[in-house]
Amino acid sequence: MKSLRFIVSRMLQSVPVLFGVSIVTFLLMIATPGDPIRLLVGVRASEETIALIRDRYGLDDPILSQYFTYLGNLLQGDLGASLRFKVPVSDLVGQFYPVTLFLVVYSIILILPPVVVLSVWSAKRPNGLADQVIRVLGVMGLAIPVFWMALLLARFFGVTLGWFPVSGFGDTFIEHLHHLFLPALSTAIWVIPILTRNLRSALLDEMNRDYVLAGMSKGLGEAQVFRTHVFPNSVLPTLNLFAVIVAYLLGGSVIVETVYAVPGMGKLMVDSILARDYFVVQGATLVFALTTIVVMLAVDLISGLIDPRINT
Amino acid sequence: MLNSRRLACATIVAASIASGVMAQDVVRIASPNKVTVLDPIASAAAGNIEAFGQLYARLLRRDTSGALQPALAESWTVSKDGLTYTFELHDAKFSDGTDITAQDVAFSLNRVAKDEASSYPAAFVPVKAFTAIDDDTVELTLEYPSAPMLSYMEIFNAGIVSMDDVQARGDEAFLTTPVSSGPFMVEVWKPNDRLILKANPYYWREGYPKVAGAELIEISDDNTRGSMIMAGEIDANRGVPFAQVDEMNANDGVTVPLEPSTLIYEIMPNHAVAPFDNINVRKAAAMALHREAMVKAMTLGKAVVANSTLPNALTYYAADVAAPSYDPAAARALLEAEGALGAEVTLMVTPQFEQAATLLKAQWDAAGFKTSVERVDPGLWWDRLTKGEYQVTVNWWYNETEDPDLAVRWAVCGTCGNKSYYTNYNNEEVNAMVEAALREQDDTKRSAIYGEIQRISTEELAQIPLYYPPFANAYSTRIKGLTLTPSLQWTLEEAEFVE
Repeated sequence: MKSLRFIVSRMLQSVPVLFGVSIVTFLLMIATPGDPIRLLVGVRASEETIALIRDRYGLDDPILSQYFTYLGNLLQGDLGASLRFKVPVSDLVGQFYPVTLFLVVYSIILILPPVVVLSVWSAKRPNGLADQVIRVLGVMGLAIPVFWMALLLARFFGVTLGWFPVSGFGDTFIEHLHHLFLPALSTAIWVIPILTRNLRSALLDEMNRDYVLAGMSKGLGEAQVFRTHVFPNSVLPTLNLFAVIVAYLLGGSVIVETVYAVPGMGKLMVDSILARDYFVVQGATLVFALTTIVVMLAVDLISGLIDPRINT
Repeated sequence: MLNSRRLACATIVAASIASGVMAQDVVRIASPNKVTVLDPIASAAAGNIEAFGQLYARLLRRDTSGALQPALAESWTVSKDGLTYTFELHDAKFSDGTDITAQDVAFSLNRVAKDEASSYPAAFVPVKAFTAIDDDTVELTLEYPSAPMLSYMEIFNAGIVSMDDVQARGDEAFLTTPVSSGPFMVEVWKPNDRLILKANPYYWREGYPKVAGAELIEISDDNTRGSMIMAGEIDANRGVPFAQVDEMNANDGVTVPLEPSTLIYEIMPNHAVAPFDNINVRKAAAMALHREAMVKAMTLGKAVVANSTLPNALTYYAADVAAPSYDPAAARALLEAEGALGAEVTLMVTPQFEQAATLLKAQWDAAGFKTSVERVDPGLWWDRLTKGEYQVTVNWWYNETEDPDLAVRWAVCGTCGNKSYYTNYNNEEVNAMVEAALREQDDTKRSAIYGEIQRISTEELAQIPLYYPPFANAYSTRIKGLTLTPSLQWTLEEAEFVE
């Protein structure tokens, strides 16, 4: 009951956040020079034709009235329609969002097990051989630019070996797993080192706490102290960092989506910005904001489960 | 339990891999150009042009040699004064099985010519009206003669749409699955991702298309398209960077034939603002450039250095005109004489011209300009260009037909609606010749007028020509018969799989 109230209050808090996001996006879009109609109709069209079509789309109305029209529609759950395709923004989001969500969840599945294994392994013997190797590999993973790594993986595993497709999303669940493996791997390669470093140092901190010594002196085995006390206590800071990264992945999937031609939100967002497709950019931004809010909320709830002292 | 599940998984994986090597009957084309509308009059952007041709048949078509052939019109006559064209239609059907009648043809072509939302009516300005005489006969009347009018019956926006469908559904008709008259019809359109086409069973050309369907996939990244064709995931890659041509050709199963285009790349000075309103400053800017070396660097020697303001693939192209040749000392002297030494110029470029910008800045600065480079995205580029808010920029254009009429209207005519590609070049003599050449029915005289237009506009440097590139598209060796014509149309109906 208590956590239900917490969830409801957090959702209520998100309303002003979303409102703010919509205003900022709208202002940014109208402040960006460039005419969506020119880009839509093509370079050969005359000024008269462009003006006529602008008027038909209501883009000549005063800016404030455009915003209020938009907001009015939004309150009724209508995200508006794409200027380019004339289809509802919600349809486009419905088409592209699941792809990105699949990619992010897939990346998380590839990320979490290695993070736990590698950081525990590192922390067991700080500055031992394994720790050194893991650290060097981590620095390499962090230092290689994502687009370059993605391109190399595509050329090697896709073109040379032919093990994985280098583009697309596929039609069935198995195909999705097959098509998105390289994109998810490219993402995992730079996220794993960040989380591993974080978790390793948290583990080392906790292992040197007094309660560890106390537990051992009372006869608890090392393994049990580690599993039931050290690990849960170390996970919290990493979990919060993880939440930030997940939120970032949802919005920042642009690079891997571009390199692997994955038809996800990153592609929709970039193309819409380039085409000045205002309402799609607005709608996509709101969806990103909402997702971030939900991810943060989920992490707060999980943190509360791990450490009941965190006030929910 | 676990084992049987794992086995099932493995079987599915194996099956999904195997399906990739099953006999393929759909041609997959990856292009950076996006399909944004399916209404042939609504856009003249490259991605749309490339799709329109597959969906909408025209009265005439071009064969593989580029010659005009009957299509929906099986024959035609032209009156002596060149003002009346009468087309006899072939028996043909739309993709929904209804007949393509003269009423449909007149409706479609009047839409292109007269609808105020028609994005590119330039070719149809002389049109008085298209009229259906009976079910199989269409009459075109003109206000004044237009020598290339017949060839305009073949361009991308002259496609025939279903009058009944458009009148019944209005703009909705083109939102998802328009009724098509061309070799293909829409199976599914996934906006911002791909257009999936299937063969139109009612297409008028019997035995065509030879493939079951096609996918036009939007892939903006050059490297991604490169990986895709080398991995066999697509059959054609629209737009291979010149630097990747050799790598592609070295790959088994991929070829990059360099195909003729009507493209021209050029430097565009704004004639309405200083310093390029001064012809001597434009001359100095041209003489400062070693264009042969630039073209070699930018295209790895795969393009021809341009000499005229018009593409070299056009009829009446003048091989004997030339922009001033490389002479940096003379360029400096010219700037000095004009008091323009050290003139500050801002070069506006989109990301694809990063290399050109570096080369231009180095050479212009060496000759006495002070160049700064301003980088903008394409949306902003068009905005600034059409408003005339720039000093100089670089870009390309192409022509829909081999006839130069539309080309001169676009690039060097100050009164044809586009202010000479928005460079504000405006020479009244040239403007008058553009109109005269359209009406001239005598081939020799037309040739002379277009020669003169090119001589004047090149001498006055309406734009500084850079190069004429070929199309560099990569094709899988699994297919044959697929090319991109100079008018940006895929020959998809002729394409077939070898095997």
